[in-house]
Amino acid sequence: MKLEVGYIPIRDIQFGPTSKVDGNVLYVNQDELSRLLLQDEAIESVALDIARPGESVRITPVKDVIEPRVKVHGGGGIFPGWCAKVDTVGSGRTNVLKGAAVVTAGKIVGFQEGIIDMSGEGARYTPFSTLNNLVLVVEPKQGLAQHAYEKTLRLAGLKAAEYLGKLAADIEAEEVHTYETLSLLEGVRAYPDLPRVGYVLMLQSQGLLHDTYVYGVDAKQIIPTLISPTELMDGAIISGNCVSACDKNTTYHHLNNPVVQDLFAEHGKTLNFVGVIITNENVFLADKMRSSDRTAELCGYLSLDGAIISQEGFGNPDTDLIMNCRKIEAKGIKTVIITDEYAGQDGASQSLADADEAADAVVTGGNANEVIHLPAMERIIGSIDAVDHIAGGWSGSLNEDGTITAELQVITGATNELGFNTLSAR
Amino acid sequence: MIITNNPAVTAAYEQMKNVRYVEGSYRDVLVEVRNLVHIGHELVTHPLMGSLKPNETPYRSVVVSDEPVQGCHTEAILIIEESIAVFDRFARTARPDRGAHASEIAKRDFREIDLSLLKSALDA
Repeated sequence: MKLEVGYIPIRDIQFGPTSKVDGNVLYVNQDELSRLLLQDEAIESVALDIARPGESVRITPVKDVIEPRVKVHGGGGIFPGWCAKVDTVGSGRTNVLKGAAVVTAGKIVGFQEGIIDMSGEGARYTPFSTLNNLVLVVEPKQGLAQHAYEKTLRLAGLKAAEYLGKLAADIEAEEVHTYETLSLLEGVRAYPDLPRVGYVLMLQSQGLLHDTYVYGVDAKQIIPTLISPTELMDGAIISGNCVSACDKNTTYHHLNNPVVQDLFAEHGKTLNFVGVIITNENVFLADKMRSSDRTAELCGYLSLDGAIISQEGFGNPDTDLIMNCRKIEAKGIKTVIITDEYAGQDGASQSLADADEAADAVVTGGNANEVIHLPAMERIIGSIDAVDHIAGGWSGSLNEDGTITAELQVITGATNELGFNTLSAR
Repeated sequence: MIITNNPAVTAAYEQMKNVRYVEGSYRDVLVEVRNLVHIGHELVTHPLMGSLKPNETPYRSVVVSDEPVQGCHTEAILIIEESIAVFDRFARTARPDRGAHASEIAKRDFREIDLSLLKSALDA
């Protein structure tokens, strides 16, 4: 499966009479986009706003971040199962408005969604501060249940990203990246001497407000399976996860998975990137056993020499992570796990809820309990009163002068467990 | 059997399922589950279900088998013991306005999340 991804760099977003890409500026017709979103009868009102890198802007509570993309040719459409039919994606040509994103905001559950600061200390912790963000603040009709509101906001974000992405269909890309996954046999023939490496992508699937979807299917109902890494780039996996801002994988993360990017960069040079195995993080122990067994079987079936395993979330998924690690290692396959830590504000406590001696190669996204101080911002998009209630904040987190003292876990993407973040010991 | 300190779970399930209501804290629920697992009940759902941290939500619901099952449940014992250790670790950074001290509005949300997570698991 071969995919070309064309980058159209976006350096600014502005509202204008016609939605279009002109030069490196994305113009958005507010009325047209609002009308499109308001077709969903569950929505009372939509407010569109723009947040640019370096501005004194705080976006909160953030639910999802989505990159606008469009399928130019090659079958299927972006976000299959949602905005397009379920045809297989991941081949042909996709164009991306690189540097732009749709950010959805809304108080689904008042204490979990995160913060994106566009400047100051907080901006350093989130990769989304470097993007030109079109923010959708969606207010639901009164009485809409939380899970229905989540779905409404999820769909609004995808629709807006699809709407913007389509503007890139006929524009010549400045950069084109090509990704190709060979069939199993072709790969063996092409790289007989390179170590065979697979990627085990664990998807959050604990239930309501903690869900991820694959081609429209709720990931808690899947059996671990193989997926081409280029399918991810076309939106085969989207986020419905509202919980744990710092280490949830937004849809943007799935589209731009850095493990996939790095494995492709080394593919054919130092390793043979065989493919991606997706698995879930269910709450039933029987599901955990079944999914980790199947995942290890697939790794064995692919004759992997090594596997990289990334996690999403905390606590319950730690058990899935360690089960996957232990069972894959038991097949003689080396593993590296990617996680983050809740090691206390002093960083001195045990980081994970589970451990095993097989997990002897670990990459961390950082300590989510670390206390940070955020300056006041001139403008708030969304609503600031949630800050005292979000995970990692506490009563008094939001000071009268607009500054915030809270744990790092309040920042969207700060300790991301795919490594798509800016923290480093270097 | 559902072990819970969440009145919303009791209300939703007591007609349909075996529910044991624990008059106490999140930790008390974990300890009750540990006691049951040690006498042979199978652990059906993970004790740290959901991404809400143990020092945030005051509510916890865990499903174990209705009856003790023969055999050694090493994995389940490790999971429940580790979960209690995680709870105690988080308790060291107790929040004045969380857990048992959360506001009534926050508690309502926490009850709802706990119930809905359990529901989406049981209905799946």
